[in-house]
Amino acid sequence: MSNQTQTTREPTMEGEPTPEKTGAIDIENLTKVYDPEGERVVAVDDMDLQIGAEEFVALLGPSGCGKSTVMNCIAGYLEPTEGEVLVDGNRVSGPDPKRGVVFQDNRLFPWKTIQENVEFGPQMNDGVEEGRARSILDEMGLDGFEDAYPSGLSGGMQQRAELARLLANDPDIMLMDEPFSALDALTKEIMQKKLIEVWERDNRTVLFITHDVEEAILLADRVVVMTARPGQVKDVIDVDLDRPRDPEVVTTDRFTELRERALSVIREEAQRALEQEEGEV
Amino acid sequence: METRRRLVRAGSVLAVPILWFLLTRLGIVAGLPTPTAVASSFLEEFYRQDFWLSVARSTVRVLVSFVVAAAVAIPLGLLIGRYTVFADLTFPALEMLRPIPPIAWIPFTILVLPASELSIMFITFLGAFFPILLNTIQGARGVEVEFSRAAQSLGAGSFQTFRHVIYPSALPAIHAGMIVGMGLAWVNLIAGEMVAGGTGLGFLTWSAYTSGSYPTIIVGIITIGVLGALSSALVRLFANWQIGWREVESA
Ligand SMILES: Nc1ncnc2c1ncn2[C@@H]1O[C@H](COP(=O)(O)OP(=O)(O)OP(=O)(O)O)[C@@H](O)[C@H]1O
Ligand SMILES: [Mg+2]
Repeated sequence: MSNQTQTTREPTMEGEPTPEKTGAIDIENLTKVYDPEGERVVAVDDMDLQIGAEEFVALLGPSGCGKSTVMNCIAGYLEPTEGEVLVDGNRVSGPDPKRGVVFQDNRLFPWKTIQENVEFGPQMNDGVEEGRARSILDEMGLDGFEDAYPSGLSGGMQQRAELARLLANDPDIMLMDEPFSALDALTKEIMQKKLIEVWERDNRTVLFITHDVEEAILLADRVVVMTARPGQVKDVIDVDLDRPRDPEVVTTDRFTELRERALSVIREEAQRALEQEEGEV
Repeated sequence: METRRRLVRAGSVLAVPILWFLLTRLGIVAGLPTPTAVASSFLEEFYRQDFWLSVARSTVRVLVSFVVAAAVAIPLGLLIGRYTVFADLTFPALEMLRPIPPIAWIPFTILVLPASELSIMFITFLGAFFPILLNTIQGARGVEVEFSRAAQSLGAGSFQTFRHVIYPSALPAIHAGMIVGMGLAWVNLIAGEMVAGGTGLGFLTWSAYTSGSYPTIIVGIITIGVLGALSSALVRLFANWQIGWREVESA
């Protein structure tokens, strides 16, 4: 930033024009019906949601309400039955390295070493840069495990390695489907911290699916609560807690307020889901 | 492996000659050559060039046919497993050919192929081909969809997904098919050599029968058994080398 004479356009950026933010997600009238000729499971029904570039959004909802379905449509794995998903104005028509995914169950390639896993993305795209995988692994606290196979790592380490694999590919958007739900409380806390650290530094959009209300509020800018199946947006909660948020934030009144609000909506929907199920049996 | 299991396994191998000795000693099976007669016949064969020529012939036939079978069956199986259109085009025809017993092919292949060597190799090939094909198909179909999705989201195209996900993920199933296929390759080879004649251990064993030298029959059988076991061990070694990330079940 040597050129101080130029007029600044944004308070955060000096001397350079602000780069265009990327990673905005626009879900428009999204409907997904599984098995349209047979049982017709309407998983998502006419859902609308806008996620801003570089925003951290948590998606909450009762089990089976269609959260993963929404994510799979954004990732490009599933074709919407109706409506569409736009990313930076372009219609999603298939998977893309700009939209990275972390799965609930660890999906590192078991037949590749940790380093090979991390270098897979770059290898498929612009080529592997010497030493980059190593530095990402170092950052994730995985130095010394480059040549290990995923099966030789603990659950927390596997999840960090999967995050490392994603970061090595430098995606605009990170789609995460209950990434920490299988981890113990302590490991989970460490992972949450890592994730926020990475997100704040690299300016990526994050869609984070979780069952855990506290996790959602602790991490996200906005918490989107979905209705029971067929999924729609039930409520959107703006999380106006200052960042960085340390773990003690959960004891504040504001946090409690937000949590109660989210919980009451979810309870209502979970109850409805239960009645729905009983009705179907 | 713990010592106890080793002992039990050694016992399993030793039980065969002991049982055999008892059978001949008590005269339960008439005409069964004694172990000592077979042993001396073995020594005799050991110094005959013909015997080693047969061993070499049969081994080469099996190895070549097996490698060709794997080279055809694995890509074919991966394609059939992943592409419905491809499966519909090829699989019904293959399924119709599969139940035909190997020996039934011999007269036909001797007629259409220029050398009986080729018809023996062909049915040896068939023995290995179908188990490898079926297992590869199953392996390719069993690939967890999220592995392919992960690869695609990291930027892999369909060929790269095949190479880096479908194939390695199907390898354990492919290896299982190769182990079964190696066994059947020997079965078909021996049948082929007995029917088509000429050379090889199958022919050696069969001509020992027609010339009435019964101990040599047993020598042939044992040699085939040993070579069969060695080839299976070779496949297992190869499999273990190929997937260091996962131990192959050896039981
Ligand atoms: N391939 C499929 N075929 C048929 N129905 C499906 C399929 N995938 C999901 N469903 C159904 O669609 C609904 C939504 O599924 P989805 O996995 O999106 O829910 P979810 O909110 O992610 O649930 P969970 O919290 O349990 O992960 C569920 O009722 C599920 O049974
Ligand atoms: Mg889900």
